[in-house]
Amino acid sequence: MRGVDPISNIIRFFLLVFLQVFIFRQVNLGWGGADYVFVLVAPLFVALLPLRTPRPMVVIFAFLLGISVDFFYETLGVHAAAATFTGYIRQFVLAILAPKDGYKVKASPDGKDLSRTWWIQYLGFIITAYAVFYFSMEAFSPVFWKQILLKSLFTIPISWMLCGILVSFLRPRI
Amino acid sequence: MEQLLRIFYNNGSFITFVGLQLLCMYLIINNNSPQSKIFAETMTVRGGSVNDAISGVNSYLDLEEQNQVLQREIARLKGLLPEAQYNTEVAVDSIDDRTYLQRYTFLAANIVNRSPYRPNNTCVIDRGTQLGVKQGQGVVDNQGLIGIVDLPTERHARVISILHRATRISAGLSNGHYGTLLWDGQDPRRMTVTDIPDYAEVSPGDTIYTTGYSNVFPTGQVIGTVENTEIQPGTGSQHLNIVLANEPLNSANAYVVQDLFKEELETLKQR
Repeated sequence: MRGVDPISNIIRFFLLVFLQVFIFRQVNLGWGGADYVFVLVAPLFVALLPLRTPRPMVVIFAFLLGISVDFFYETLGVHAAAATFTGYIRQFVLAILAPKDGYKVKASPDGKDLSRTWWIQYLGFIITAYAVFYFSMEAFSPVFWKQILLKSLFTIPISWMLCGILVSFLRPRI
Repeated sequence: MEQLLRIFYNNGSFITFVGLQLLCMYLIINNNSPQSKIFAETMTVRGGSVNDAISGVNSYLDLEEQNQVLQREIARLKGLLPEAQYNTEVAVDSIDDRTYLQRYTFLAANIVNRSPYRPNNTCVIDRGTQLGVKQGQGVVDNQGLIGIVDLPTERHARVISILHRATRISAGLSNGHYGTLLWDGQDPRRMTVTDIPDYAEVSPGDTIYTTGYSNVFPTGQVIGTVENTEIQPGTGSQHLNIVLANEPLNSANAYVVQDLFKEELETLKQR
């Protein structure tokens, strides 16, 4: 669960899909007949893929995660699109947030070399990208920009917080 | 190839992203009813111009097929034009007279086809055996001679033009001297009359007529005028180079000369 090896990533994959579809899927709060608050933890898998993963493979793994979540959400393609987008955007987030001396891929066994600030920023970017793209795909038209904005505004802080807790609890390496 | 691989290596994530994104769009549209409705609506609203563009392109792609369809249609319509019809209206000119018995009748005909210009010219007229056209009948136009019917079919007949190297037509002068009209295959405006006796007095400008001796053309049909004479030494004859009165290769209307006495005269020849 905490390592960069394939087994850890596979376990992480199933754990996060399980959390997303069996626990956090039940969370949907809203008013006026529409839900605005969701919890998205699935993008954490994309965020925690090893740094050295080839970029196309990141996109493909993200797609697999999204399509797995979709099977349980019965919205085939929506999560997959959002996850694919997140997987693609990850390389740019990493480039933006790169420390001055670059990433020490093998330096630390438990990710402590990456500061808490870095983790919060990184997760913020990933969750935002995932949430905005997910709600856009769900609405599927720019006509519903208000709903997209509201859902994103309510969903992002909660998911961000939860993912931050998970990361600090697990202290994974990437 | 190496460059292609390099492009993929450098942009692999982008290509993968676009490919999977398209796959996701396909899945979304085909598996989620709200999204597919929105997509269908968008297609209806925005797709008009796209469809116009696509049909515009498509209309160019099947131009060849359209061409064939139009050509078939043109062929059908051309078949309805008057030019394509076989004129069954028969215009036969004859004289009803007690003093004179009709010998020649003239059957109006149109030249509908002709061979390309060469030393042996033929043409086709739109009158055939059903109107009594037979092999050996002469064909004339308003100014001069056209040729001799060679091969009649039911509705058409092939005519050997006088501008054919096999042509031999009896031609003579008004003073009774006569020879053979033939063509050397050179100049379509000039022909030669051979075997005129060298003592016959011929001046340039004299008119050459048909003699009617071969029962092909009526007697006295103008052929042309003498341009010059060439005395053939030692043969006792002279050749007349003549200028034709008509242009056999250019005339469109013709008359088939039908000699009503021909059979009678043929029997005389055979005895």
